[in-house]
Amino acid sequence: MSILTKTEAGPPGPGDPAPSGPFLSVRDLYVQFATEDGVVKAVDGLSFDLERGRTLGIVGESGSGKSVTNLAVLGLHNPRNTTIRGEIVLDGQELTGASERTLERLRGRKMAMIFQDSLTALSPYYTVGRQIAEPYMKHMGASRKAARERAIEMLARVGIPQPRLRVDDFPHQFSGGMRQRAMIAMALVCDPALVIADEPTTALDVTVQAQILDLLKDLQRETGTAIVIITHDLGVVANTADDVMVMYAGRCVERGTVREILKSPEHPYSWGLLASIPRLSAPVDLPLSPIPGAPPSLLNPPSGCPFHPRCAFAEEVGGGRCATVRPGIPEDERRGFACHLGRERKREIFTGQIQPRLGGGAR
Amino acid sequence: MRIRKARHASAFLALGALTLSAACSSGGGGGTGTGGGEGKQATVQNFGIGTAADSKGPAPEVPGAAKGGTAYDLDQAGFDYLDPGQQYVSDQLSVQLLYNRSLTGYKIDAKTGKTILVGDLATDTGKSSDGAKTWTYTLKDGLKFEDGSPVTSKDVKYGIERLFADYQTQGPQYIQKWLYGADYRKAYTGPYEGKEIPADKIDTPDDKTIVFHFQEAHADAPYAAAMPNISPVPKAKDDKQKYNNHPVATGPYKIASYKPGKELVFERNTNWDPKTDPIRNAYPDSWNFQLGIAEPGLTNRLAAEDGNDKYAVNLSGSSDPSKMQTLTTDAQYKSRTVNQYQPYVEVININTKRITDPKIRQAIMYAFPMTQVQQAFGGGAQGELGTTLLSPTVAGWKKYDPFGKLDKPTGDIEKAKELLKEAGVTGKIKLSYAYANTPRWQNVSLTLEKALEKAGFDVQRKAIDPTSYYTVVGKLDTPYDIYRTGWGADWPSASTVVPPTMDGRNLADGTNNYSFLNDEHVNSEIDRILAVTDIKKQNDEWRTLSEYVLKNDTSQIPFIFDKYFNIHGSGLGGVTYNEVYGTINPNTIFVKQ
Amino acid sequence: MLRFLVRRVLGALVILLLISAITYFLFFFLPSDPALLSCGKNCSPQNVALIRKNLGLDLPIWTQYWHFMVGIFAGRDMPIGHCPAPCFGYSFADQQLVWDTIADRYPTTLSLAIGGATVFLCVGVGLGLVSAWQQGRAFDRIASGVSLVGNSVQIYFLGPIAIGLFASSWHVLDRGHDPDWSHDPWGSVQGLILPCMVLSVIFWSNYSRQTRSLMVEQMSEDHIRAARAKGMSSRYVFLRYALRGAAASIITIFGIDLSAVLGGAIITEVTFGLHGLGLLSVQAVLRSDLPLEMAVMLIGATIIVVCNIVVDAAYALIDPRIRLS
Repeated sequence: MSILTKTEAGPPGPGDPAPSGPFLSVRDLYVQFATEDGVVKAVDGLSFDLERGRTLGIVGESGSGKSVTNLAVLGLHNPRNTTIRGEIVLDGQELTGASERTLERLRGRKMAMIFQDSLTALSPYYTVGRQIAEPYMKHMGASRKAARERAIEMLARVGIPQPRLRVDDFPHQFSGGMRQRAMIAMALVCDPALVIADEPTTALDVTVQAQILDLLKDLQRETGTAIVIITHDLGVVANTADDVMVMYAGRCVERGTVREILKSPEHPYSWGLLASIPRLSAPVDLPLSPIPGAPPSLLNPPSGCPFHPRCAFAEEVGGGRCATVRPGIPEDERRGFACHLGRERKREIFTGQIQPRLGGGAR
Repeated sequence: MRIRKARHASAFLALGALTLSAACSSGGGGGTGTGGGEGKQATVQNFGIGTAADSKGPAPEVPGAAKGGTAYDLDQAGFDYLDPGQQYVSDQLSVQLLYNRSLTGYKIDAKTGKTILVGDLATDTGKSSDGAKTWTYTLKDGLKFEDGSPVTSKDVKYGIERLFADYQTQGPQYIQKWLYGADYRKAYTGPYEGKEIPADKIDTPDDKTIVFHFQEAHADAPYAAAMPNISPVPKAKDDKQKYNNHPVATGPYKIASYKPGKELVFERNTNWDPKTDPIRNAYPDSWNFQLGIAEPGLTNRLAAEDGNDKYAVNLSGSSDPSKMQTLTTDAQYKSRTVNQYQPYVEVININTKRITDPKIRQAIMYAFPMTQVQQAFGGGAQGELGTTLLSPTVAGWKKYDPFGKLDKPTGDIEKAKELLKEAGVTGKIKLSYAYANTPRWQNVSLTLEKALEKAGFDVQRKAIDPTSYYTVVGKLDTPYDIYRTGWGADWPSASTVVPPTMDGRNLADGTNNYSFLNDEHVNSEIDRILAVTDIKKQNDEWRTLSEYVLKNDTSQIPFIFDKYFNIHGSGLGGVTYNEVYGTINPNTIFVKQ
Repeated sequence: MLRFLVRRVLGALVILLLISAITYFLFFFLPSDPALLSCGKNCSPQNVALIRKNLGLDLPIWTQYWHFMVGIFAGRDMPIGHCPAPCFGYSFADQQLVWDTIADRYPTTLSLAIGGATVFLCVGVGLGLVSAWQQGRAFDRIASGVSLVGNSVQIYFLGPIAIGLFASSWHVLDRGHDPDWSHDPWGSVQGLILPCMVLSVIFWSNYSRQTRSLMVEQMSEDHIRAARAKGMSSRYVFLRYALRGAAASIITIFGIDLSAVLGGAIITEVTFGLHGLGLLSVQAVLRSDLPLEMAVMLIGATIIVVCNIVVDAAYALIDPRIRLS
């Protein structure tokens, strides 16, 4: 616990530059994979910022580039077939183009990742304790014994009962929820300043889900960690995030505070996301309305606004601009969206057509 | 020659040939016997009987020879039997020459290759009396076992007595049968229960003399006395079957170490006196037999002669068939090649119980494609075209070719058809043909089938498992018309060829008369000739009878005289060949210094 | 673990008993008759009958089998002499005590198999690891090409060539001889180098390909990415995480290959003229040497069965998800 408390002021480290500006800043990020069929533009000009102590929720369908963005931040893409352009600055340090050695030192230490499926993300061949202790030994130079103590401490911290006994268990001996906790312990063992959680609760049942999210929030409160939560579940976002970024086809289509996005979304895709969430308060006879159509091909993305083939309101924009002109999103504003629809028309549509479907509105 | 059959056949199965061929007989009177490069010019009868003077030691020096060094033998198999009582097959016959001495033995002239029978332990080849029924041998002076104890006539008698024991099933049985008849085991069961062979059968009036009283005349007894089992065994050292691993030496070498199937090392027997031995030069200080070396690796080693392989020879095995082409054509091997007759004749037996008309048998004879079959057999280095039922290694052999096979070696289809017509055959005549299922005999069978089909036979080939081949074709009711067998004499006299393969009385399953020939004339002639006491005359009579069978009965079609072919290391000199055994003769070999 | 071992050992005993019975009884269905094969030149019916009696073949097959099996555990008195347990009788062919022959030959086969397996595991797995590490680069391509060639080569083809080059022409390696560990350990090693190399070739190519694809597959697993996200170096992750995952599969393949290794050892022995159980078993079959056949068969089966148990146990040690019970 002492270490956790000590690091509240921000993770210490050699060459740690004084915080100036956002803790994590991504500018104009492009991530492209070379495949047999052609170049996949997984992330296509993305920018966002994240400050210490805050949580950014990234939402979007599968294949919208959420996970790829965060793997790019960690530098875990396959260098052989991936091209990355743009700027990723963590705490003043440029990460794109940084050497593998540099990244290795940052990973697990300054930035850590919690994966979606703890069953596959933990190695079945080593004990939970060892897997937690490993990065602590590497980054903090701790002895095997000290690292083991730290692992027990972390297990206790994430709420594993009898951590001293369970530290020598193998992952398959843990329940799903416990595994997820163990993985969180593994990510947080070196008190990273940035935690990226990729669908951290998707595989869990609802009560466990809530516990895990509470745990993350508690930890953040204690350490001041910046968190990125990747999810397709707006409920998770509502519970945890301060800011939200909605991604579609490798781009950010809307961003704002969690309240803004959930209460007054401005982008038709965001409307669609909201409408596809079942709500207890909604009339039971009202069917859920999934977004029609399929996510776009990233090999050959649609021209103009990438959402226009699936957008119900594209015709309302004059001159077929949706199909030809890519709508931009203002760089420097916290609140923004990429849509050609007029502001007035949007409000009309939202209040007239969308809000009723959302029942009681955002929780 | 039985060996040839079962053993040989099984061996072919996998590793190629674990050639354990048998020994036998002798060559022709006129010195036509040898093949290969070094033709022999024998002016006196080859394989004949030497005098007492010939039987005196020491053995004549081999030109250029020197004492010392280690000679090596590479052998594909191991030695199943080192107990002289159990030895019969060729690899055993050749190795026992190093440590075992019999009453008589073959003396081979290193220069001419001429082979004669002389007294080995005995002062001569034996004196006969009572119409060749009684044979008397006198031992030389100075004979000792490896432990220094003297060899007496009692030891020789004991060596023969133990041949009657139940476990002694492998060695030759001539002497036993001559003493007691075919059922000799019923009359005497061996020395282990304290009983001796009585003096009216084998008498040892003193330590030097041993007298055999046979039931009938046996002019070829001197040859029978050359078999390894007519040799002394010290009673105190005889532990029955276990004697097999430590036979007591009387020859120039004794066993230094023996790992069965792996390695057999001989060192000098200091109690062997060269002055007593007319046939063994014993130049090397030691012999090292490396056993269980698989082919074709063995032949490759002889060809490459790396390291000690330079001093190596394969005493009893021919080179791997796959290497024949290289070894026979590449001139570099010529100076170290040995290519000589073995005592076997390859024949196609015609089942006279099924093919009763001699004309049809002769039609097969005329159609037989000698040259093509020789090619399928493995070529001239492995076997020469043969047209007689006796091998050139049998005393008294002469060329004989009543059907002109050497004039038309590819077969005379017209003549065959003509004979079939004379025999009243209309349409195709069915002929069932059994062959051992090995590559060699598959090839031969295809070749033969083709020729016989041309002559008007409907040939039905049947492959038989090689390990049971002789059992199948040896049955009286065997359903096959023609099949190949090989037979050779045990010593250079046709009395070990003609009676076993041509006597038609007492036919039964598993005898060696594979054609089931039963010709009154032949049967009575056999009895008459057996009683002849002059061995030279007897040999001529056997030859005449075999020619009669060939021409009139045509129960067998001889086609190949087998030959030994192999190379030896260039570091060895004095490499001679024993045609009686069909193996290299280790007695004259020396290591070049 | 103990329960697992007890159960597996009992199962193995049943299997061995079945194998022994099948081998013994099948022998008498084969057309070749050991008495006829060993009657030498004296195959008269009387002599064959005598040999049959000497070999004990005149008794009912069941009785023979019973005597044989009892002899293995209790020893037996035979016409040649007493045969102490474990008694497999005396060879039909060369009259030697079968157990002595086996004891004389097994070090060669064992050395060859262990040496060959060591070489092909090291070379094969090593090559596969480097290939996976260098995936898609020149080394990987060359290695897979070589593996393909190696996979199609036969021992009896490669052996003579290797002897010709390394022993006869260049004189850099021994042509291969039987090991004698107690008297000449260094010479034994030298004599085994070439045979082990040749034996390993047909295996290592397979192992390098298997290892490579297993490693490539492992490297795409989530836990590999998770380990790297912890800041563990690529090499550490490759050797600790991916290899650990691949090892379980490699061991399984190795377990299945054990009988093939023994088979390869047979051909290698024949090719190099080594005196091992392989050559012995060939001779036993060729010569219908029932006691030797039985011994070779049972010992070979025992080795394979025991190794399989060991492999299963090792599998459990490597993969904690497997529990032996």
